Amino acid sequence: MNAPTAFELEVLSTTLIVLALVYALVKYLWSQPLQNGPGFFLGNEVPAGFYEGPGRTWLKAYRATLAALHLVLAAALGACIVLRRLDLWYFGTPLLYVTTLLAFHAWTRHKLGSNPPIRPVALALETRRLGDYISWPFEALSATIIAFSWWLLMRHGGTRIEWLPPLLFTWTALVLPGKILIVRSGSPLPAERAEEHYRYQDAMRRNGIDVLSAWSWLFVIFLFGFALRRAWTPARNVPWLQWLILGIFWAFWGYMMFVVFRGQRLAANMGRGLLPSGSWLTPFRRASWTRMSRPYDIWFAIWFGGIMVLSLYSMYAHL
Amino acid sequence: MFLTLQDNDKRPIYQQIADGIKALIARGNLREGTSLPSVRQVAGDLGINLNTVAVAYRQLQDEGFVTVRHGAGAVISPRPPRPVNQAELYQPLRTALTQLVLAGLKGHEIEEAVRQELTILQQKGGAQ
Repeated sequence: MNAPTAFELEVLSTTLIVLALVYALVKYLWSQPLQNGPGFFLGNEVPAGFYEGPGRTWLKAYRATLAALHLVLAAALGACIVLRRLDLWYFGTPLLYVTTLLAFHAWTRHKLGSNPPIRPVALALETRRLGDYISWPFEALSATIIAFSWWLLMRHGGTRIEWLPPLLFTWTALVLPGKILIVRSGSPLPAERAEEHYRYQDAMRRNGIDVLSAWSWLFVIFLFGFALRRAWTPARNVPWLQWLILGIFWAFWGYMMFVVFRGQRLAANMGRGLLPSGSWLTPFRRASWTRMSRPYDIWFAIWFGGIMVLSLYSMYAHL
Repeated sequence: MFLTLQDNDKRPIYQQIADGIKALIARGNLREGTSLPSVRQVAGDLGINLNTVAVAYRQLQDEGFVTVRHGAGAVISPRPPRPVNQAELYQPLRTALTQLVLAGLKGHEIEEAVRQELTILQQKGGAQ
């Protein structure tokens, strides 16, 4: 058995990402505007008969945007393969994907949801404790592996080590503040069917935390594998050990994809007929359509921005 | 357990929250020892100022409905003792009856309304 080459790794990783993107497109994204039923378009309340009239144009525009986005991604992938710069594609894909979908959501909200109705609001008198959502032993284990990986790199490196990748992996894995903010975030509940809205919101909260946890573990394993390979000579010479670490990494990747798609399935099943967050006004304010609080949105912008900056710098350093 | 805040309610928000919690206690839905969510959680969930919720909780504490322990949050207290002063006890009833009379309701309509509200209160939680 040979050790995996950089090319083999890139091919395998790219295949996994492409499969996930295609599955998400076909299974969920294509019909996402209709997820809350015929009374809504992408979480905005629309009048009866909307889909017999202007709704058709909106749906076409949404699907055309999705098709264009995926065509651009496919073309970019081809170009990056030819140029042998798949790192550019790894960097550009989430950036283009997230910004395009967010821009379309914002445009739809501006055009269709600018004057939402005011409804009575329900307040759930349930206490949300961090310990009910976050597993502290797993957080401690994750922190220990990260610390051990850095110790390996610093004390047993022996050879010249590039510090940017471990820094990027560590930054990406640090999602505990995000998880705490998810527990603390709550969207107003409509008084009508408050219990169902509450259960839906809580299921989404738990799923959001699971996604962040899986994502974090993915990069903890990546960091550990990186440290082991750089700092421990046998890890560079024993192919099966490298394949084992890669196998663990892909198992976590698979788990993360499972959690992401489970969340989509839950949202589709539980959210049908319920009022999407942000489609109505409480007597005091409009709910955030992201279902998250402002502190979470700020944290996410800093965290995601940090990943983008480190990735960009990493690419620049390799030019 | 949910507390509903109406869009056409003219009372201040803190008062709606305090009155809503008191109604749940009266119905027996919130029993002694039950923890209430933190001020931060309530303010975040409703999208209102922290101080607004703090004022509501403080009012409940002053009236003896909740006990606020540092670090443990607000907990429903044992039912506060009945005020010895009957005038104090009946004052809110007098205010409400005055409003109903001023609204033009007849005596028998008011009696019927009071009976209905009392029935609802007793049915929902079996309050004593």
